[in-house]
Amino acid sequence: MTDLAVTVEGLTKVFPVPFHPARGITAVRDLNLRVEPGEVYGLLGPNGSGKSTTLKIILGLISPTRGRTKIFGRDSSQVESREAVGFLPENAYFYKFLTGEETLRFFGKLCRLNGAQLKSRVHELLELVGLTNARDQRLSTYSKGMLQRIGLAQALINEPQLVVLDEPTAGVDPAGSRDIRNLIVDLKKRGVTVLLSSHLLTQVQEICDRVGILARGVLVREGRLEELVAIENRSELVLENASEALVNEIEKLAANSNAKLIERRRSTTTLERLFLDATQESGPANHANKRE
Amino acid sequence: MERTQHRAFSPARIFAITTNTLTDLTRQKIFYVVLIFALLLIGSSVFMARFTFQQEFQILKDISLGAMSIFSSLLAIVATARLIPQDVEDRTVYTILAKPVPRFEYLLGKLFGVLLLIAISLALMSALFVAVVYAREQAVLQETSRQMSRAPAEQLDAALNAVRTAALNLDILVGIGVIYLKACLLAALTLFVSTFATTNIFTVMVMVFVYFIGHLQATAREYWLEQQSAGWIAGAFLAIVALIFPDLQAFNLVDEIVAGVAIPLALFAKTALLGVFYIAIYTLAATFVFYGKEL
Repeated sequence: MTDLAVTVEGLTKVFPVPFHPARGITAVRDLNLRVEPGEVYGLLGPNGSGKSTTLKIILGLISPTRGRTKIFGRDSSQVESREAVGFLPENAYFYKFLTGEETLRFFGKLCRLNGAQLKSRVHELLELVGLTNARDQRLSTYSKGMLQRIGLAQALINEPQLVVLDEPTAGVDPAGSRDIRNLIVDLKKRGVTVLLSSHLLTQVQEICDRVGILARGVLVREGRLEELVAIENRSELVLENASEALVNEIEKLAANSNAKLIERRRSTTTLERLFLDATQESGPANHANKRE
Repeated sequence: MERTQHRAFSPARIFAITTNTLTDLTRQKIFYVVLIFALLLIGSSVFMARFTFQQEFQILKDISLGAMSIFSSLLAIVATARLIPQDVEDRTVYTILAKPVPRFEYLLGKLFGVLLLIAISLALMSALFVAVVYAREQAVLQETSRQMSRAPAEQLDAALNAVRTAALNLDILVGIGVIYLKACLLAALTLFVSTFATTNIFTVMVMVFVYFIGHLQATAREYWLEQQSAGWIAGAFLAIVALIFPDLQAFNLVDEIVAGVAIPLALFAKTALLGVFYIAIYTLAATFVFYGKEL
């Protein structure tokens, strides 16, 4: 039997309040999660709902008050459980005094990569995240989007089987955000499990197989995305080049049946698509080497 | 990509963190301390031209070794204090510990980085110091030879030997070694304090406090033992004080060396052992606290 990528069993985390040992703050309460290998799982919730705490416990950065977490069957308290894991924390800054290439080399060495293997992996990842031209620039000159991309590259340095991303698109512009989304889709295609937290729901909806919604540390909903968002008794028709008469005819048919027409409107594009089209029309998007 | 087998202890990982820490500190231009030392040394050697050569060499050694001691201690405290809080604030520590890196390797890598920085700084300062003393020694030797050109050969040899003895001897190296040990001890203690401190300023303030108490505690202990009968409670109390506040006066062999007193090997070994003991204890304590730290 294959081990689950991530297992969270009866997890509770209470942060003690200094000088008031009896009055702890419960960040996560009796949480159970199972992430299958190869799926993209989205942990959603408002700020302070316990998403980051859960991720940190899974990665062994903080210890649970009760319950336990496992990565591919190995308890998170063991260092070797993180052997095949990549992590991008929220708003990470990394070492500003290093260049992009030095950053990846440093993280590669922590995973005991060296020599030609490390060199080719660094080259490959710089290419993947579009930072080849900025490889010799210090991170202090990187924009937020570039930092996030170098962060993603360091998370992938050891070809992880599980990638944990905490708010991966927070503070990134729509183009950078789209790049990150494409990268996640690419990881999924290669069979990598992705566990991400976010409150940007549209993006989550586009890439996640399953989602869990946390509120005040409690898992209030969980399931496959299409099941969670589907409205059982409603259907949608999207027509192209349909004449006014045809649409009126369909509307009449609906009125003569038991069905009720809820809304009739012109299709619109998303604001994100409009933004991307407009910015690309005005010139090639070159946010790889430029500080915004 | 072929995945390597996880190792519970990896010198390669520690080395990666050590070199990274050294790069960090070097790019912060912390070596400017050495420049200040050079100015101090050259300035004082010019000023001392009016003394006799014995006085000149003694003062030069006194100022140089004293400055090395202060600069290396300062470097140890200031450079170490910011390492962990900065990594926590920038969340870099998350990305490092989310890799298969045990926490003690992270701490050791950081500590070794600072120790390497202090070693390089002390080596540079020592090289400068030796160069200045050597240059002055050669000048004095030439001057002596010139002045005593008509004196008998034995008398001239004795005079030249006196100059050489007053200039440089191996005990200087012992003195620099002990200065390095003291700086390493302070770095290890600073690392320990920084594992539970929340700001750099707190760590630096605590360490300045420890630095002064550490230099005064030996005198205070002697005074206390003279006044009180040394019962076991007093003994235990003093042992705890000695552990929290290291006896930094024990690392002050510079005065004897400058005065020309030879340092017995046994005393050097005892001091070195004390230094290594303190460094090991503080590093273990730092590891213990850091393992329990919620990041």
